[in-house]
Amino acid sequence: MGSFILRRIIYVIPALIAVSLISFLVIAVPPGDFVDRLAEEAAKKGDIMPLAEIEAMRRAYGLDQPLLVQYWSWITGVVLRGDFGYSFGWNLPVKEVIWPRLGLTVVLSLASLLFVWVVAIPIGIYSAVRRYSAGDYFFTFLGFLGLAVPNFLLALALMYVAFAWFGQDVGGLFSPEYIEAPWSWGKFTDLMAHLWLPMVVLGTSGTASVIRVIRANLIDELHKPYVTAARAKGKGEFALLMKYPVRHAMNPFVSGQNDIFVDIVSGGTIVAIVMGLQTTGPLLIKALLEQDMYMAASFILMLSVLVVVGTLLSDLLLAWLDPRIRYQQG
Amino acid sequence: MQKVRFGVTRLVAASLLLSASALPGAVVLPVQAQDNAAVCASGFTEAPQLKAQVDAGALPPVAERLPLEPLVIQPAKEIGTYGGQFIDSWGGGNIADIRQFGYEPLVRWSVDGSEVVPGVAKGWDVSEDARTYTIYLREGMKWSDGQPFTADDILFWWDRVENNPKVMTGGPRGELKNNGKAPTVTKVDDYTVAFAYEDPNGLFLQNMAGPYGQRAVQFAKHYLEQFDIDANPEGVAKLMADAGQTDYAAWWKANVGTYNDAAQFNDPKRPSVHAWIGTDTLLGKERVTYVRNPYYFAVDPECQQLPYIDERVWALAADPEVTLLQAIQGNITMSPRNVSTPQNRAVFFDNQEAGGYHLVPSRSCDYNTAVLTFSVNSPDPRKAAVFSNPDFRKGVSLAINRQEIIDTVYLGQGEPFQPAPLRDSPFFNEAMAKNFTEFDLAKAAEYLDKVLPMGADGKRVGLDGQPFAFSIDINADFRPDTVDTFQLIERTWKQAGLDVTINVRADNVFQNSLAAPESDGGVWVGENGCGQLPLLNLNRFLNDYGSWQPGNWKGWTAWNALRLDPNATVPEGVTPVEPPANVARMYELRSLIPTKIGDEQAALMKEFTDLAAEELLAIGVATPAGFYRSVKNDVHNVPDELIEGWLYPGPAPSNLSTYFIKQ
Repeated sequence: MGSFILRRIIYVIPALIAVSLISFLVIAVPPGDFVDRLAEEAAKKGDIMPLAEIEAMRRAYGLDQPLLVQYWSWITGVVLRGDFGYSFGWNLPVKEVIWPRLGLTVVLSLASLLFVWVVAIPIGIYSAVRRYSAGDYFFTFLGFLGLAVPNFLLALALMYVAFAWFGQDVGGLFSPEYIEAPWSWGKFTDLMAHLWLPMVVLGTSGTASVIRVIRANLIDELHKPYVTAARAKGKGEFALLMKYPVRHAMNPFVSGQNDIFVDIVSGGTIVAIVMGLQTTGPLLIKALLEQDMYMAASFILMLSVLVVVGTLLSDLLLAWLDPRIRYQQG
Repeated sequence: MQKVRFGVTRLVAASLLLSASALPGAVVLPVQAQDNAAVCASGFTEAPQLKAQVDAGALPPVAERLPLEPLVIQPAKEIGTYGGQFIDSWGGGNIADIRQFGYEPLVRWSVDGSEVVPGVAKGWDVSEDARTYTIYLREGMKWSDGQPFTADDILFWWDRVENNPKVMTGGPRGELKNNGKAPTVTKVDDYTVAFAYEDPNGLFLQNMAGPYGQRAVQFAKHYLEQFDIDANPEGVAKLMADAGQTDYAAWWKANVGTYNDAAQFNDPKRPSVHAWIGTDTLLGKERVTYVRNPYYFAVDPECQQLPYIDERVWALAADPEVTLLQAIQGNITMSPRNVSTPQNRAVFFDNQEAGGYHLVPSRSCDYNTAVLTFSVNSPDPRKAAVFSNPDFRKGVSLAINRQEIIDTVYLGQGEPFQPAPLRDSPFFNEAMAKNFTEFDLAKAAEYLDKVLPMGADGKRVGLDGQPFAFSIDINADFRPDTVDTFQLIERTWKQAGLDVTINVRADNVFQNSLAAPESDGGVWVGENGCGQLPLLNLNRFLNDYGSWQPGNWKGWTAWNALRLDPNATVPEGVTPVEPPANVARMYELRSLIPTKIGDEQAALMKEFTDLAAEELLAIGVATPAGFYRSVKNDVHNVPDELIEGWLYPGPAPSNLSTYFIKQ
């Protein structure tokens, strides 16, 4: 097992180098750079940036250097000093922009994951047990609706409803007075009052697929002989359901959660933009649009690390679950 | 008193000299919105919270905080009361970008934009020959930290910022130069600064009233010296090391910064002359609050220190739809420009009652919704010949159905217009604005036949009989309305037999397609067309946007650069091309006009606009109209009409310090 883990970790290193290089190049390759974007943004406001200033900024930001030199100075900073470089767009070091938002992003993502599980697992079980009943059709319909309606549209609709009928101020995760306030009980309850909207929006699409996975798996299990045998032995219907078939049905669902880390960090970008949430998703979009290359590359590098770690963990989990994998690899 | 009255006469003399009021058809100048003459024998009053601080001994009395002659601002409607918050939606960068903050230059535009009036400076003298401008500062005026504001601060800006190659690599901005030459700036005494130009400068005050003029009052010497790498090498080295930066110019831009930079308001300790000052850094923040500046230099006519409103708040909204929602919910005091569009008017209108706001009309200083420029210097000689022929441009312009575009795209607002000074400008020229704006395919054919005769298949061909196709690049992200506009234009152009392709580009790609020498033509918006602004805006009538231009005019630009300076370097791959005589004269006039004053200047402007009318160098669509801002009902002293613009950075000049909230 130890050598298996070691081997996997060694594989990760070249993968990360390749990913970081490619992500950096992909951002830098299109014609134009951040200074061009800045000049255009200035022009949109009416401002004219003189050529001398443009060239001076390019020199100041090191954008006149060959691409590989820029990559090298960025990646050595990341590896040696934990310095992810400077975000031109925010006028701040990249880590100062990303870290404060990461906490809220994780809270929101975990909340919507919990929402999905709490809603979808019981419904999935119910739909399987009462297959083709009115309730099954109702939830199936609802689930597909959730899957089919684009998240951002749902977000806009719910924001309008919250505004028009409940008079709630929408956009953001906090009321105005708490946004820059230090953490307090008041701020926490305020967060909870705002969290439900993005949580529901982000959760709806996930709910449908979890319902379908659990329903399909459980239906397969329900008619297996061991269920009949247990029932024949007089086991209570609910205890029986929970103890055997549901546990089996959960397996594919659990192993399907390997991209959970990526979802937690970058999930729901569009919804976050539409709803004005202080999460990390909009940062990435903004960085890519502005060709704010250190910001974008650092972000993609971080996501890649999470994918790699997530895959590693799910492999380990599978190896632990299924000894055959372990023997083949080891 | 003597001195004050003198200041006012000086001002009137200056505006007679410089404004276009001597011109035929000029707008009548309204009564001045503000002056220095205040009689406050019984002293000044101040906001209750400042009074409390004075009583507690934490702040000097108000009379000591104000200059000897404070600026007196006449509120738009009534004397206000202290208190309340003004909440803005903001995109996260430079708070001055939203143009609802940050307008306190030495001299400023009057509220209606028609003339230049005192601001931080209490007055000025102009020498007979218009070469020397003497600016009088306010004795006793203080920065927001209580330190005196003197001529040394202006000199610090000029010597250590504007002319410091370590921070402004390009040297002083063109707006501050005249005929390509920078002035000599000298300190006459503690409260007097002189700007001496080599040639007569007819545009100094107007340029100082624009956005770049604000730089002059942004740099408090006593505080900013610590960030000057020559004055404080060790200190700056340490700060740069702490920030992990190695380049001084980049560090300076990110941490000190000037008018265009997000950093300019990021340091809460940095002294300011604005009515409200920061309490915390703002970059990366979601919500920022500014509080009143206890040393703000202006009072109302009843000797109450301004501003009336206690706090300015900026609430971050990354997406315009969120901003729109915040505005119609009534969570924003005044809606920002990017959502206050004619297209959103119905939404704003419907929610007025629920949101507790009303709509204040806002006049745009833009002179056109879309300005189309062709590549007169295209590397393809066939194309260059066609695009630089006025008959082609006239024919193409006549084949645009502007009224249809106005009715369908702009909801019936605006009038057919070429790129030209607006009707309210003293430089309005009927021919330049209206020639070739009618939709007349027969007449269009007459002009086009001379350049591109009709081919056998109903498509026009070059004089050599070969097919002639061209394309136009438009930026769909910047102004989505141009997409609709050019769909309609494409249709009527095809009726006229033109083989045209409209390339709808995303933001990122647009700029690059403009830079490509083989681009056939591009579209941008026309800005700075109202009042005196066209005088400051001749560059754009010659398709000169500094580092770039829609359509390839690089040959003409290079020719002009060599005309001004035979040793100028021509960019790689560009061949100078001498423009036709009329256009050459327009380039010449662009250099001449700023160096003239009064009637002479006006006559040259007339010549410039007459030539522009004849040449039709660029093609316009319509005047922008139907703009407005939502303003909360409890906010008072908002002018009946606001003005939007860049060189007039509206609505900031509408005296936000006199707005007040009525409970």
